[in-house]
Amino acid sequence: MIETIPDKPLPLTVEQAETMANRMIKKHHVAIVLLHWFNALTWLLELVTGVGLIVAPALKIAPEWYLAVVGGVFDGRANVLRFHIAVGMVWIVVFAVYGIFGWRHYLKAEVLRNEIGLDKDDIDWLRLRILLILGRTKKSLPPQGSYNAGQKMYALLVYAAIPVIMLTGLIMTFHWFGTFVVGWAMVLHFTAVGMVVSGLMVHVYMGAVFPEEKPAFYSMITGMVNELYAYRHHFKWWREVKQNELAWKEQLRAHESELVAKQCGN
Amino acid sequence: MARYAMVIDQERCVGCHSCAVACRSEWDVPVGFARTRVQQTGVQGTMPECSAVFHVAQCNQCERPSCIPVCPTGATWQEPNGIVRINKELCIGCGSCVAACPYGARYINADKGKADKCDFCSDRLTQGLEPACVATCPGKAKIFGDLEDPKSNVFNLVYREGARRIETAQTAIGPNVFYAGKEEHLKMASIAFPPGRSRTIAAVSVWGAVAKKLVMLAVGATFLGQAVAFFHQLRTGEHQFEE
Amino acid sequence: MKNSISRRTFLKAATGAAAISAAAPVAAEVHPPGWRGSTRVQQIATNCEMCIWRCGVMAEVADGKLLKLQGNAHHPLTKGKLCARGNAGVALLNDPDRLKYPQIRTGERGEGKFKRVSWDEALDFFANKLQDIKKKYGPEGVALFPHGVHSGFFSTLMKAYGTPNSAEPAYAQCKGPRDVAYLLTFGRPVNSPEPVDLEESKCIVLIGSHIGENVFTSQVAAFSDGLAKGAKLIVVDPRFSTAASKAHYWLPIKPGTDTALLLAWMNVIITEKLYDKEYLDQYAIGFKELEAHVQQYTPEWAESITEIPAAKIRETAHLMADCRPAVALHPGRHVTWYGNDTQRGRAMAILTALLGAYGRKGGIFLPTKIPQGKIPLPPMPESERSRADRVGSVYPLASEEAQGLTQGLIETTLTGNPYPIKAWVVYGQNIFESIPLPQKTHQAIKNLEFMAVVDVLPMEQTRYADIVLPEATYLERYDPPAVVTTAKRPFISVRQPAVAPMYESKPGWWIAKQMAKRLKLEDYFPWTDPQDHLRRLIAPMKLSETELMSLGAVAFDGKPYIEDRTENDGPLFPTQSGKIELLSSVLKDLNLDALPKYEAVEPPPAGMFRFIYGRAPVHSFSRSENNAWLDDIMPENPVWLNSEVAAQLGMHDGQKVVLENQDGVKSSVITLKTTPGIRKDVVFGVHGFGAQSSSLKKAFQHGFSDNALMSRIAVDPLTGGTGMRVNFVRIHAEKG
Repeated sequence: MIETIPDKPLPLTVEQAETMANRMIKKHHVAIVLLHWFNALTWLLELVTGVGLIVAPALKIAPEWYLAVVGGVFDGRANVLRFHIAVGMVWIVVFAVYGIFGWRHYLKAEVLRNEIGLDKDDIDWLRLRILLILGRTKKSLPPQGSYNAGQKMYALLVYAAIPVIMLTGLIMTFHWFGTFVVGWAMVLHFTAVGMVVSGLMVHVYMGAVFPEEKPAFYSMITGMVNELYAYRHHFKWWREVKQNELAWKEQLRAHESELVAKQCGN
Repeated sequence: MARYAMVIDQERCVGCHSCAVACRSEWDVPVGFARTRVQQTGVQGTMPECSAVFHVAQCNQCERPSCIPVCPTGATWQEPNGIVRINKELCIGCGSCVAACPYGARYINADKGKADKCDFCSDRLTQGLEPACVATCPGKAKIFGDLEDPKSNVFNLVYREGARRIETAQTAIGPNVFYAGKEEHLKMASIAFPPGRSRTIAAVSVWGAVAKKLVMLAVGATFLGQAVAFFHQLRTGEHQFEE
Repeated sequence: MKNSISRRTFLKAATGAAAISAAAPVAAEVHPPGWRGSTRVQQIATNCEMCIWRCGVMAEVADGKLLKLQGNAHHPLTKGKLCARGNAGVALLNDPDRLKYPQIRTGERGEGKFKRVSWDEALDFFANKLQDIKKKYGPEGVALFPHGVHSGFFSTLMKAYGTPNSAEPAYAQCKGPRDVAYLLTFGRPVNSPEPVDLEESKCIVLIGSHIGENVFTSQVAAFSDGLAKGAKLIVVDPRFSTAASKAHYWLPIKPGTDTALLLAWMNVIITEKLYDKEYLDQYAIGFKELEAHVQQYTPEWAESITEIPAAKIRETAHLMADCRPAVALHPGRHVTWYGNDTQRGRAMAILTALLGAYGRKGGIFLPTKIPQGKIPLPPMPESERSRADRVGSVYPLASEEAQGLTQGLIETTLTGNPYPIKAWVVYGQNIFESIPLPQKTHQAIKNLEFMAVVDVLPMEQTRYADIVLPEATYLERYDPPAVVTTAKRPFISVRQPAVAPMYESKPGWWIAKQMAKRLKLEDYFPWTDPQDHLRRLIAPMKLSETELMSLGAVAFDGKPYIEDRTENDGPLFPTQSGKIELLSSVLKDLNLDALPKYEAVEPPPAGMFRFIYGRAPVHSFSRSENNAWLDDIMPENPVWLNSEVAAQLGMHDGQKVVLENQDGVKSSVITLKTTPGIRKDVVFGVHGFGAQSSSLKKAFQHGFSDNALMSRIAVDPLTGGTGMRVNFVRIHAEKG
């Protein structure tokens, strides 16, 4: 058990490491977990149908056979569009509900800083990460917060793109603001989606394929990560958690002493 | 199979707009827009040698429509009978087809947010009726029929009596609305109302020039990045925990 | 002439085969009965009232809602064709500015302040006021300003009430002089629709007629057909009209000199012996006098007056003669130009006769009577006082049957001479836009104790009324049928409601009957409802009422040409002499010019232009200007000015100008349209714009009012027709 909290990650003993590896701490609230998978499913459905909607040679992504299959499954592209819009609307509504009930929490400065704020450690991390992959450095990565810099970059992209995708989707669906705007909405919609897809590939790889981040994947199901992983990969967050734990223990001890003193006093 | 076409007899046409209003009534075309337009060259020449002609224009259901390939959702297509149709359920009203038509035959219905244009009253045809404009024209200046039927009036006018398309060297997409009448009047109309150029909306131009490339680059780069990372991972093995 | 030959063959193919081909749609029926797509619809046959032609209309109705208007293929004259205004009747029905409920004035006349009242209150008020006026001034103290055949019930009402004073602009502001001229010559007025055999003509001559901008559906059809079959077209017009654009000869005549041209044509035809001798020998009198009379009117003489080259005058005369008797010299419609219009009409009638074209194929055909049931009414009260509009007295040829002189009634209202007129009932007549000297109309209204207006839309006259009654549109009411004798196959065409009246509007027949009840004049309306009235009318016609109501119109056999007629059909020329009177015996007896002479008209002063006016194909003057669909096509009336003149004045196409007439009356701001297609001494604008009622949300101040510039008229001494092409204007550029 570590009683004093180091300022930066120190080497651990085998026992320390094992203890920490077996101890789970909470990383994600269940609401976040649900939203994540809901979002993932929506994106899957929307990408499959969205790409299946675009047929103009200047714009299309998918090959003819794909367009035919998607059109066939839905019995006509008009139904593909209807489905795409319906799912999109549900997606917007769910996010809106989250927004309505949670904006006070989600838009707190510290929460945002946590998710998308890049500090010096983050910048260094980004630089070193790329060099590491290229085998050009042997330095270790700087300590990271709850989300590492890569995750923060992705979050930034998604936070920017999702409102754009939602708004442009609505503009196209309801023909808001006139034809000129609808035309641009279409292009912005494709661009934003495309950018997210590029980030998505990294996200899915890191989450599902890259072995070092396996605990991260499971945390998106259980909401928990093991302490060792947190210590190694999200040290600054581990520190916060530890400090809170110690502070909590202190409070308990103080409270207990009070109670004992009261009892003995009588 | 029929191939529908229309011939406008410029000598019979008096520019009374009956066709335009009947069309508006039949298809709920909102005020400010039109499926069928009646234009005039205005009086030209010097007194007393003057001339003027009316020019009725609508979708030409072209042989090689420039509006069909630009529709993102494929909402517009051409029937075997030549009529170019719009599926309103697939149309998002982006305006690409409106810009693509060199004859300016399309418009976006502001109330519905969908593209619209003349379709030779396709729904009326299936009921055995003439297009509304043809039926109402007091001067009988609009002649409609099957260009592949040698007994039809349009066949006669087009193939035997010189009814003409209005095209330019730059834009010759085979419109199936022909114009009949005095040579002088045909010439005036061709000069005053030639087809323009098929255009692309600014958004799609930007997509083609910049955005698409950007997206392809990003997706390609990340894909490559992932591939490199994956191989690196295979090479260096798994690092679950530090020793 | 490859085009004309080929067009003839094509037309044969087109008219011969209603079914174009097996694969293409058939044009015979307008609609298959019962369905529009998957909606069950009713087809209700009626006729149109967007202008005065009353083309056959099929109204498509589903669940009491009007879907669309189309031409009625069963209509023997219009055969399924319908013009822009006819199609736009839907927008009239749905016009949000329509009069919706009876109103009684609360503010000052012209303020437009009213309070809503019930029909009972309104009608009681109306009836009481009429009784008041009767007590104080006699029934002659009320003048009726009706319009259209559908106002017939109101005319009956007011006649039964006891006033002889009733006048429509149709006579003195439009076709009166023409009808009198042809009546004097041939024994029949021209009537409406004009019996001109355009589709069979070999040579069509239009003098001041602008078919194409003047759109009467069947007339345009006949015009287009005639031309397609190879007819030659001569257009006499100071402006390059649509008709002129199709003409073989456009003669840009100096305004006011048409009679000179007509006399010169007569000169050529008579001196070169190109007239129809056999026809004239058999049917006409007065030829010798005419021959002597026209000797002086040579083409060379006419050239200096009309500014048309003598050679052209001869050429066109020869052309007409070559084509005789199939020459359709259109009598025109609005002929009240210069105050000498009856005599000009006489010249046209005479020329028609010289070419042997009256009663002949391709010329002017004869009307065929249809037996109509008479509905016996009690005798109309005799008035001791004569009509205030001077019909029959000052204007000897304006007969009692004529539709009266509007300006005469206004004059009497203003002066009280010969007796006071203190009340006006204005039924569907736009008194401020149709009658010249509108300043006088405004003045006269100040002398009124009571004014009632019945109308569909809140036209300007509604703002001056004490009571405004909302009439249902033609699509919502029964009206007396159109019984048309001036068609090659005469016919009866009905008007029945397609939908129920909107708001609290009521049909005119109901208003008249309700008033009759209150005025104790029910005996003059012995029919229970319009269908009963119709039944009595059609009784001698021996046709099925159900068939008539479902088809909308039924035609009878016609005898349009002289060769069709026997002695049993009555006199061919019901004049005093029973012959065509080239020299008019009636005029002779009245010591007036029995043969038309040329009288010069005052030219425009230096720096001014003569203002002439006309029609546009998408409007029926002020009637249609508030129509959303038609206003979209033509929201204003630009003023036409010759391009060269404009350049000299430093003006350009599209700029804003103001016209100022000889009396200092200024128009509102107008858009200038410069064109080579108009004489340099003339400017032109379409009549009927510039609505002054702000309740007409679309029409209000759209374009300029030409009638506001009519501060001068030239009255025809024979008929009282008010010539209105006698106003001259200066053009001022409008800054800013």
